[in-house]
Amino acid sequence: MILNGLLNTIRKIYFSHNIVLWMTLVVLPIGVSLFTIGMFSSQIVQHVPIGIVKQDDSQLADKLEMKLRSSPVLDIKMICTDMGECEHAVVRGDLQGFLVFPNDLERRALRLEAPVIPVYSSGQNYLTNMFATKEIRSVLASAGSELFTAQMEDPVKVQIHSVGNLKSNYQGFLAFGLVTAIFHLAAMIVGVYVTSFPLRDHRVTEMIRYAGGSRLTLWVASVFPMNIVLWLETVGCYAYCHRLLAPLTFDEFVMSAAAQLFMIFACSGAGIVFVGVFGIMRMATGAAGIIGSPAFAFAGQTFPVMAMPFAVRCFAFILPLTHVLMIQSTMLLGDVDMAPAWESMKILIGMAVFWNVLGALLMSMRWKQHLRREAKMKEVKNAEAQA
Amino acid sequence: MIKRLWKVAFAEWKLIYTDPAAVLLLVVAGLIYAFYYPVPYVYQTVSKVPVAVVDLDNTSMSRDLIRMASAAQQIEVKSIYPEMRLAEEAMARDEIYGFMVIPENMEKDIRGKHQVTVNIFTHGAYAMFHGAIGTAFSTCALTVGATNKVKQIALSKKVPSTKAIAMRDPFPISIQTLFNSTGGYANYVVPSVLVVILQQSLIIGICVLGGSRAHRRFRKKFRDSPVENESVPYRYFGRSIAYFVHYCSFILFYHCIVYNLFDFPRRGELLPMVVFSIVFLASVINFGMVVSQIFVRRESSMQLFLYLSIPILFLANFSWPSYLMPQWMVSISYILPSTFAIPAWLSIEQMGADIYDVAPKLYQLAIQAVVYMVIGLLLTRIRDKVKIDVGDM
Repeated sequence: MILNGLLNTIRKIYFSHNIVLWMTLVVLPIGVSLFTIGMFSSQIVQHVPIGIVKQDDSQLADKLEMKLRSSPVLDIKMICTDMGECEHAVVRGDLQGFLVFPNDLERRALRLEAPVIPVYSSGQNYLTNMFATKEIRSVLASAGSELFTAQMEDPVKVQIHSVGNLKSNYQGFLAFGLVTAIFHLAAMIVGVYVTSFPLRDHRVTEMIRYAGGSRLTLWVASVFPMNIVLWLETVGCYAYCHRLLAPLTFDEFVMSAAAQLFMIFACSGAGIVFVGVFGIMRMATGAAGIIGSPAFAFAGQTFPVMAMPFAVRCFAFILPLTHVLMIQSTMLLGDVDMAPAWESMKILIGMAVFWNVLGALLMSMRWKQHLRREAKMKEVKNAEAQA
Repeated sequence: MIKRLWKVAFAEWKLIYTDPAAVLLLVVAGLIYAFYYPVPYVYQTVSKVPVAVVDLDNTSMSRDLIRMASAAQQIEVKSIYPEMRLAEEAMARDEIYGFMVIPENMEKDIRGKHQVTVNIFTHGAYAMFHGAIGTAFSTCALTVGATNKVKQIALSKKVPSTKAIAMRDPFPISIQTLFNSTGGYANYVVPSVLVVILQQSLIIGICVLGGSRAHRRFRKKFRDSPVENESVPYRYFGRSIAYFVHYCSFILFYHCIVYNLFDFPRRGELLPMVVFSIVFLASVINFGMVVSQIFVRRESSMQLFLYLSIPILFLANFSWPSYLMPQWMVSISYILPSTFAIPAWLSIEQMGADIYDVAPKLYQLAIQAVVYMVIGLLLTRIRDKVKIDVGDM
C-alpha cells in the first residue's frame, strides 16, 4: 500500500511532468559539466603571446629570440619597433607581455656589465602571466649560463611536484572543483524545482492523494529520486575528470562518493528550505542562485580560505562545497591517513540532516497551507459552477 | 513619439521596483554581488602559507636554507621534519600545504662540485599555493646554488666576485608588472566577474519580466492596459530604455563606489566608458529580449542561466586563454556579449585603453546589438500573434 503510493507519487512527479524537470535534473548539469571539462582540454598553458622590443641588433639578441621562439609555452607574436607599440598591444589584449633587448646588450654582456633585460607583464591575467614570466626567466637564465660557464653545472637543481596532480594539469585541477560546484548548484535548483512545482501549479492535493494521503510518502517520493540521480551524475562526471589526476584507490573513491552524496542531500535540502521560506519557485530559485552560483569562489580551491577575512571564512564553512572539496583534495594525496577527511564528512552529514529536517518541517507546513488554499479554490469554483 | 516611449519605459521601470522577483534580480542581485564577490579576495594575495621542511642533510648549509625560507614573505615554515612521511601526514591533516626536501649530503655534494636536487612538494588541489610555495622555496634553494656557483667561478676562473656574478648571470632580467602591480587576485578576477554579473542579472531579469511581450499574464491588473500593449516598436524600445537607464546606474555605481571601496585600478577614460556602456548594454538587452521569447514560465530563465554562469565566465578569455579551447566552443562564445565585453572592460578600466584600442571589441558588441535587435523585433511580432495557453508569461 505504502510502496504503491510511493511508486505512484514518484511516477507522477518525475514521469508525467514537463521537460524542465529533466533539463534541470539531467541535461543541464551533465551538459555544463562536460562542456566545462572540455574547455580545459589543452590541459596546460601554451603559446602565450608575447612581444619583443629589439633595440639591440646583435647575434646575441638573435640567439635569445630564437631560444624564446623555440619554447612551447611562448608565442612571439610581435617584434615591436618601440615600447609604445608593444604596450598598446598589451592594452588591446593581443599580447600578455613583452621584453626589451636593450641597446648594446651583447657588447655589455661580453664586457661583464650585466645589462638588465626588462620583462613587462600585463599582470591582468594571473595564469598566463605567471607561465610566461616563469618561462622567459628560465629560457634567458639557461641562455645566460651557456655564455661563460657552459661546462659548469648549477650546484642546485629544483624540482617542483604537485602532489596528486603530477603534470600540473589544469583540466584535472580546475575541472574536479568546477564539476563538484556545478552539482552543488544543481542540487539546490532541482531541490527548489521538485518541491515547488506542486505549489506553483496548485497540485498539492493531487500529489497528496497519489501519496495515499501521507505527507511523509510525498516527501520521500520528492526528495530521494532526485538526490540519487544527481549523485550518480556527480560521481560519473567526477570520475570522468579525475582520470587526468592521480588514480584513486577503492577506499578513496568510496570516501569521495560518500562526501558527494551528503553534499547533494545538504544542497537539495537547502533548496527545499528556500521553498519553505518563500513559498514561490521564482524567489526560491533566485535565493538558491545567489547562494549557490558563487560558492566556488568561497570554497577555497582557487583562492585559499585561510587568506579570506574571518566573516567570509565562516560563510565558506557553512557551504557544503568547501567540505567536499577538502575531502576530494585529501584523497589526491594518496597513501596517507584518511582520518582528517572524516572531520569534513561529519560536518557534511550534519548539514544534510539539518537542512533536510528543516526542509521537511517547512514543507509540511506549506503543504498544509496549500491543501487548505486548494480546497477553498475548489469550493469557490463549485459555487461558481452551481451559480 | 518620445512621450509614448517614455510612458512605456516608466511603466517598466515601475515594474522593476514592484515585482518581487524583478527586485531580487535587477536590484538586489546587482547590489549584493558587487560586495559579495570581492570580499573573499579583500587581502588580494596569499602570504604566510604554512609549509614544512624535511631536512635530511642537517648541516650548516641546510640550516641556512631553512632560515632563508623562514624569511620569505609568501610562506611560513611551521615545522622541520627528519623524514618525509611526517610531512606527508601533516599535509593530509591540512596543517601544511607544501614542503621542501633538503637531500642527504647536500653540503658535501655541493662542496664536491656535484649537482644536488632539491624537491619541492605542493598540494595538487590548490593552484595558488602551488605558485606561492614553489616560487618561495625555489628562490631560496636557487639562491644557495647561485652563491656557491659564484664562489666556484671566482675560484676556478680567478676573477673577482662581481665579475663572477656577471659570468653566472650575464643578462639578469627584471620583471615589471604593467597593470596589476600588486599581483592582487581580486584585481584579476573581480572586474571580469562584475561584467558577468551585469550580463546575467540583466538577461534573467528581462526574461522574468517577459521581455517585450504584450498581454503579460503575470500583470493581472494591467494586462490589457494601453501602455502594456503598445505597438511592437514602442513596447520593445520603451522597455529597453528602462533597462538601459537602470543598468547605466549600475555601471556608475560599480565604477564610482565598488571600485573605490575595494581599491581596484580605475583608469577608464570617459569616452571609452560611455561608448562601452552603450554598446554593451544594447547588446545584452537585445540578447535578453530575444531569449525571453523562448520561455513560457518566468522562472525557467533563472534555471537555465544559473547553470550557464560558470562556462560563460570561462569562455570570456580572461582566465583560460580562448586559443587553447576547442574551436567549436570559441564559436559558441561569439553568441555571448560577455565574450567581447569582458576584455573590452578590462582594457578600458584596468589598463586605461583609449577608444582606438578597444574599437574592434566595441564594433563586435555593436554588431551583436544590431543582430539581436532585428531578431528580437521579429520574435516579438511572431509571439504576439501566437496564442500560448500554458505558463505565466
